[in-house]
Amino acid sequence: MLLSRRNFFKILGAAGASTALPAGSAQAWSSKAPDDPYGCLVDLTRCVGCRKCEEECARVNELPAPERPNCQCTIFEKNRRPDDDAFTVVNRYFTGRIDNFNKPVPTYAKVQCMHCQDPACVSACIVGALTKDETGAVRYNKDKCIGCRYCMVACPFEIPAYEYDDPITPKVMKCTFCYDRISKDGGLPGCAGICPTEAITFGKRSTLLKVGKKRVKENPGIYLDHIYGEKEVGGTSWMYLSSVPFKKVKLPGLPETPSPKLSETIHHSLFSYLWSPIALFGVLAAFMSRTKKEADNPDNKGGV
Amino acid sequence: MIKKLFLPVILIIVISGLCLANSWKAPDQEKAKERSKETVPFIKEYVDDCKINRRICLMDAKVSLEDVKDVYFLLDSPVIKEKEDHYEPVRFAHKRHAALTKDCSKCHHFRPKDKDALETTRCSACHQDAFNPERPERIGLKAAYHQQCIACHKDEAKGPTGCKECHLQHVPDHKELVKLPDNADPFQVTAECNRCHDAQAEDMLKTAHWLWKGPSPYTTGHRKDILHGKGTTALNNY
Repeated sequence: MLLSRRNFFKILGAAGASTALPAGSAQAWSSKAPDDPYGCLVDLTRCVGCRKCEEECARVNELPAPERPNCQCTIFEKNRRPDDDAFTVVNRYFTGRIDNFNKPVPTYAKVQCMHCQDPACVSACIVGALTKDETGAVRYNKDKCIGCRYCMVACPFEIPAYEYDDPITPKVMKCTFCYDRISKDGGLPGCAGICPTEAITFGKRSTLLKVGKKRVKENPGIYLDHIYGEKEVGGTSWMYLSSVPFKKVKLPGLPETPSPKLSETIHHSLFSYLWSPIALFGVLAAFMSRTKKEADNPDNKGGV
Repeated sequence: MIKKLFLPVILIIVISGLCLANSWKAPDQEKAKERSKETVPFIKEYVDDCKINRRICLMDAKVSLEDVKDVYFLLDSPVIKEKEDHYEPVRFAHKRHAALTKDCSKCHHFRPKDKDALETTRCSACHQDAFNPERPERIGLKAAYHQQCIACHKDEAKGPTGCKECHLQHVPDHKELVKLPDNADPFQVTAECNRCHDAQAEDMLKTAHWLWKGPSPYTTGHRKDILHGKGTTALNNY
């Protein structure tokens, strides 16, 4: 009996799946999140949309000054995303809320790297250019980066940007959590330090969760009972409090399982002890010896 | 002749100099300046009263408009200034706000736990550095000012809510910045201004100063000329 190509792959797939599942559960995926990272709590009810965070971010990270830094009028007309020139941007959303004078109330939302507890970008990076630091910062090492941009595909928040206009030494650009500043005692991220209304609260993530929950408890009419980033993709260092649904300010609804969990489980179970390549080549060898035997069989000679 | 003129000229200069030196200054301005430089010890414990309770407390303590000794404050605390100094201090008419709101508890929202302390303490007694890990829920002085002012002004639809409506921005000394040759022509001057203020130059081109047209009732020959104007026939000289 000759195996058809289709049947061969069917058998191989079934064999792979049946062995991958028990192997996966045998060495369960464990989170590599730091124990006591720093974080930031962004309170959207406090943000007044002054864009000082953008300005200060550009200054401390030596990026080009944001477009029209002092103009809050026309800049919000288009929805912006962080890019290779800006690690953070503030967007304005009209979510249907109106004030006492029947005027629509804007909600401003700052976007930047969320510094996930178990970052998908770090998991996807094939050379270890991205790392999750003890401080909570997802750090980028430009000397290791080979420019594959897997991080950009992996990120559930679509944050990493790439210097496409730099043909020689392009870098992946994203918020650094001001690592150089926060790793020093008393250091603050640029944006948190400059924010006039303390819409960005900086501190230990565990403390911020307590602060956030206290705020929600004390002002139930104002806040939604949900700290965005507490559980999303296994938790993020940057978290949001809001009075409007997070989807309305373009914060994506995400599952609670860390993004790398599924991919790393599949990956690690397929390649543990190199069993899958060994199995593959075993099957191939068996198949080859079988076809060779059939070819050597004098009964088959002259056959098609 | 020249000698005769010399004396009065000198006299005028001296007198005008004296006048300038003794020019009038608002008395509360100096006092406010002094006060703004003060720092007070941090109050760690406070009474977490509800709003209505607090208002009743202030009424019971018979705090009234007459008790407002400080009419005017400059909000320029070293607590903020040590870290950043982007703006000139904000002028805050304390008594005016007290008279308008008729509710001291709007700002004096909690009181220190110490019974001997004043019923109305200043903002910077409780609100100092932001993100104090020991008191993470206590906001810093800068945020306290901004949240309090902006929120109330929005609620009342009264008073400034934008940055430059309260703050004067520090304007750098343009003597250092402007680099022009001697006897520069108008084109050079405009080009020098635009070197930094190109956005403003672009904006100006969209304003009536650049685009106006219509009759000029005070210009001979153009009194009824509806098509005359900078946007049409008049020459822009720079």
